[in-house]
Amino acid sequence: MSSEDSNPAATPTPGVDTQGDGRWMSLHNHFVSNSKDKEPDVLFVGDSLVQLLYQFEVWQDLFSPLHALNFGVGGDATQHVLWRLSNGELGHISPKVVVLWVGTNNHGHTAEQICGGIMAIVQLIKDKLPKAYTLVLGVLPRGKMPNPLRERNAQVNKLVQEAVSSLPHASLLNVDPGFVHSDGSISHQDLYDYLHLTPQGYQAVCQPLHAHLKGLLEKQAEN
Amino acid sequence: MQNIGAVQHPCARKYSGYIDKNYPSSEAFRMSGDEMNPAAVAQAVEDIQGDDRWMSQIWRELFSPLHALNFGIGGDTTCNVLWRLQNGELDNIGPKVTVVWVGTNNHEHSAEQVAGGILAIAQLLTSRLPKTKVVVLGLLARGEWPNPLREKNVAVNSFLRSWLPRLGHTQFLDVGAGFVHSDETISTRDMFDFLHLTAAGYRAISKPLIDLLLQILEGTPEEKRASLV
Repeated sequence: MSSEDSNPAATPTPGVDTQGDGRWMSLHNHFVSNSKDKEPDVLFVGDSLVQLLYQFEVWQDLFSPLHALNFGVGGDATQHVLWRLSNGELGHISPKVVVLWVGTNNHGHTAEQICGGIMAIVQLIKDKLPKAYTLVLGVLPRGKMPNPLRERNAQVNKLVQEAVSSLPHASLLNVDPGFVHSDGSISHQDLYDYLHLTPQGYQAVCQPLHAHLKGLLEKQAEN
Repeated sequence: MQNIGAVQHPCARKYSGYIDKNYPSSEAFRMSGDEMNPAAVAQAVEDIQGDDRWMSQIWRELFSPLHALNFGIGGDTTCNVLWRLQNGELDNIGPKVTVVWVGTNNHEHSAEQVAGGILAIAQLLTSRLPKTKVVVLGLLARGEWPNPLREKNVAVNSFLRSWLPRLGHTQFLDVGAGFVHSDETISTRDMFDFLHLTAAGYRAISKPLIDLLLQILEGTPEEKRASLV
C-alpha cells in the first residue's frame, strides 16, 4: 500500500460542487483548454492566493512579462491541485518554472500530511515536466492573533524545507516579509481578512518572489 | 412562520477560518486613528455592506471620493450581515446612503427566504439610521453555464422588486445586465471564478451604482423638479 492511500492530502481529489453551479470544474476545464495555445515560461498553481494575484496590477507589472500562466483556484487544498495537475492542466505546456503555493486550506490535515501533499505535487511535476524547476512558496501566517493554524502552517514550511533540501529540481521560498508584528497580530492592511493579501501585501510578497524567479529563469536558460 | 433567512444569530460556519475573519470593528477605527475612522470623517456619506471581497484599487478610484466605508465579508449570508449590524457595526456612523449586496451565499435558504432576509436588513437599516437611503443591489448571475443558482438569484431579485418599494427610503438596483452572453455563458473576463468580479466587472457595475448614488446624494429628482417650479 502506497503512502498516498493513507494521506488524504496526497490523494488526487477533484473539487466537490457543494453550491450547485459547477464552478470548480468550469475553472479546471478552462485551464486545460487555455493551456493549448500558450507557451508559458512560468506556471503559478495553487489556491486563492495564486488566483487573486492575477486580479491585481502586480501580475501585469511583474509576472506577465515573464510569460506566466495562472492556475489558481480559491479554496483548493493540496489534493485538489494534485488532481488538477494529474488531469490535463500540464498536458500542453512546458514551463521552465512552476510556482506552487498551496496548503493553507488543508483543514483537518496534520502538518505532516500537508507536507506529504505538497511533496506529492512536486513529484508529479517532476514526472510530467522533467526539465522544470518547482519553487514552493511558504504558507503564510493567518488570523488576526496567534492560533493553531499559524503553528500548523509554520510546521508545514519547516517540513517542506527539509524534504526539498536534497532535491536539485525544487526549493522552498519563504515569502512572508514579516506580517506578524511583535505583539503577535497581523494587520488588515496586509491581509484584509487575515487570510488574503491586500495590494500592499502582494507587493511585499511579490518583489522578492519576482527577483528570485528571474534568477531561476536565467539559470534555466544557461542549462 | 419564521423566515430563517432573517434569523439574527451568527450562522456558524463549517470552516475553521471564520473565527479568524473578524473585520476591524468601528471601535478599532476610532481608537487606532486609522484614516477610515468614521468618527473623524466630517460626514460619513455612505456605507457599502455586502458579502463580497473588495478590490482596493477600484475602491480607491471610484468609492473613496464619496467618503465610503466597506463592511463586506466574503462568504457572508443575510444572517451574518444581520448579526453584524445588530452587534456594533452601525453604532458610530450616520451615512446618507447604505448600499446592501448580499444573498448569493444563502445556500440553505429558498429564494423567498433570502429575499426576506434582505428585506429584514433594509428594515433594520432604515430604523437604526433614520437619515439613510437604502440601495439594495440585485444578485448577479453565477456559474459558467445556466444552473439552479442563477434561477434562484433571479427569483430573489424578483421578490425584491415587488417588496422593496413598499419600504420607505429603499430602492432596488439591478447591476447585472450584460454578464450573461447570448450563448448563456459568463466570461472569466467579468467574473474570474464565475462568481467574483474582476476589475473590469466591478467597473461595469460601478457605473449605474455611482450614477444612482450621486443622484441620491445630490437630492432626489422629485426635489429637483420641485425646485424648478
